[in-house]
Amino acid sequence: MSDQGSSQITEFIQGEKEPQSSSVVLALGVVASLSFLLLYGILYPGREMPVVSELLPMFEGVFDSGIWFFLLGAMLGIFAIIGTILTEATSE
Amino acid sequence: MSEIIPTLAIFWLLMVVSFILMKRGLSIFNDVAKGMVMFMLEKALGPAIDFVQGKPGSASRTWIMHGMIWAMLASILTFAGLWLSHDSTALHSLGAWGYSPDSHELMYAGRFAALFGAVGMMVIGAGLHVVPTLSGTNLASESNATLVSGLWTLSVLILVIGAHAKEILGVDIIVLGTALQILAMTAIILNQLLTISNATRPIAIPGWLIIFGLIGNPLAVVSVFLSGAYGTGVGQWLVYHMIGGTFFFCGIAGVSLYASSMGSGNPLWSRTLVGFTLFGALISINPMGSTDPSMAVDMLGLEASEISSSTQDHISGSFLMALAMIPVIAYSSNLLVTLRGTDAFVENADSPGIAEMNMGAWMLIPIAIGSLFVQTDALGGAGELSGISQTLDLLSLWAVLMPLSLGTALYVFPQVSGRKVLSVSRSRAAFWLMSGGAVAGLTFTIMADLNDMALIESLAENPSSITEELRILGSVTFYGTVLGSIFHCTNLISGQFRGEKLSEEVESSTSLSPHTYELTSSTSVRRILASGATLDTEVIPVSQSEEAGSATEL
Repeated sequence: MSDQGSSQITEFIQGEKEPQSSSVVLALGVVASLSFLLLYGILYPGREMPVVSELLPMFEGVFDSGIWFFLLGAMLGIFAIIGTILTEATSE
Repeated sequence: MSEIIPTLAIFWLLMVVSFILMKRGLSIFNDVAKGMVMFMLEKALGPAIDFVQGKPGSASRTWIMHGMIWAMLASILTFAGLWLSHDSTALHSLGAWGYSPDSHELMYAGRFAALFGAVGMMVIGAGLHVVPTLSGTNLASESNATLVSGLWTLSVLILVIGAHAKEILGVDIIVLGTALQILAMTAIILNQLLTISNATRPIAIPGWLIIFGLIGNPLAVVSVFLSGAYGTGVGQWLVYHMIGGTFFFCGIAGVSLYASSMGSGNPLWSRTLVGFTLFGALISINPMGSTDPSMAVDMLGLEASEISSSTQDHISGSFLMALAMIPVIAYSSNLLVTLRGTDAFVENADSPGIAEMNMGAWMLIPIAIGSLFVQTDALGGAGELSGISQTLDLLSLWAVLMPLSLGTALYVFPQVSGRKVLSVSRSRAAFWLMSGGAVAGLTFTIMADLNDMALIESLAENPSSITEELRILGSVTFYGTVLGSIFHCTNLISGQFRGEKLSEEVESSTSLSPHTYELTSSTSVRRILASGATLDTEVIPVSQSEEAGSATEL
């Protein structure tokens, strides 16, 4: 009983299935974040965004070419491959 | 003085001698030689050999996996090189870290990564599965072949670094990378020769294509040194194309013909055409590749010379390149018809790898013909078409060599690992991204090259804005290749853990299997199964009448 119980708890905690509505929740979260950012601009016009406005000048002169947009995508891909190796190897 | 014919004569002689030695062996020294080679491959390496698995298929799997990773890196390097050709300061911020690459360096590094990293490793990896299978035996040393994949990857990494900085601390980096690669290549050749020496049945011709592809590489270099042509521009151009015609063309032809037959379930269409492919590839000069042999010059540590061919060299070189169309057309048609069987369409197009091989075989003939014109022009010293040479070289790399080797690897990988790729639909999406990105992106770049050539010819002072726009469009479109290679990598890696096991494979590639199959005329069992029927499908004969029909009453 205890062995069966522990295996059920592992399955219960890990969540074996992925409901389709979970992606809707994620999309809703992203849309809400963007909406609040827009709202900030409307409520406090002319004011700089906290934290973000201090970080962005650090990258001036660094990511000043369109190639970085694509290279960031490639870097995400490389991290996706490393992530896939790590998660697939440890999931079993 | 003629350089081409004497060099090729030595090459042909060495090939014939090698074939006789492989068929007849070394007489009384056979057992001693085999024992010594086996000792060198395993015991002589000491504890290093214990680091790797010796399980059947592990060597092929490791080589293909490395090749896939290199394909992704090569696509990123080539994409960045194409971008910098129209925006040379795009990566200037990396100068703070001491890295300021230009377009030429990135393209050169991308070519090393693509040719020796991706294509080379996938072809050798597939060959490590194909040759033992065709010989009816196991690979002589799985452990050694697995171990040297690391050495080969290290050599490619050094070559990629050498493409940026040829000399570091007084050491010629590219020559160092080549030396390591020769070491790894020697181990693979000895391993494969030992494998075919234990063959239990006659080896089919695709197996010989792989073997001659492997041994052709060092023999081409030896021939050029023996003939003394290594110091001349024509000799350097020749060795570059001899390596292209043997290691790359023969190797890819061997593994892809095997994969096309096994993957489609159709027997190889023509044995004669495979023979023509092998014989033709060895006696002719493959025109595909750049007109600038600097890659071979750098790898062999030679002093670069201008191509100034004699009339005899021009005639013989042009003739032998035109002759290369025979093996090219023979191979392409054989592969395409084998994929289709007796039908008009590829029946199992869902199988990963088939689409890539199909595309590579289609693109081979037009690109080979285009390369023939460009190379003949360069060998004659005119250089009127040299403006499109680099992009045409990239096109032959990304639209022919890469799809053919990748398609083969995608078929062989599940055979050696026991699991299929995770998702067929992701594999198909990756195919469209890679092929579309490479063909469209490089076509736009060739259009820009042609525009530049026209402007130079008309002595225009101001550069055209269309050229820059086409180059931007070309580099952005080529980004599809980066995405496709990343999709292929994640699909392959995930498939290793969660992919469908080969033993669980169902008969049909579709989940929708018909319950009944109406038989209207005589047909083969193969056609019935190809329509999606399974073993449980009920075949119902439908009676037909020969009586004349009449109008339908309303």
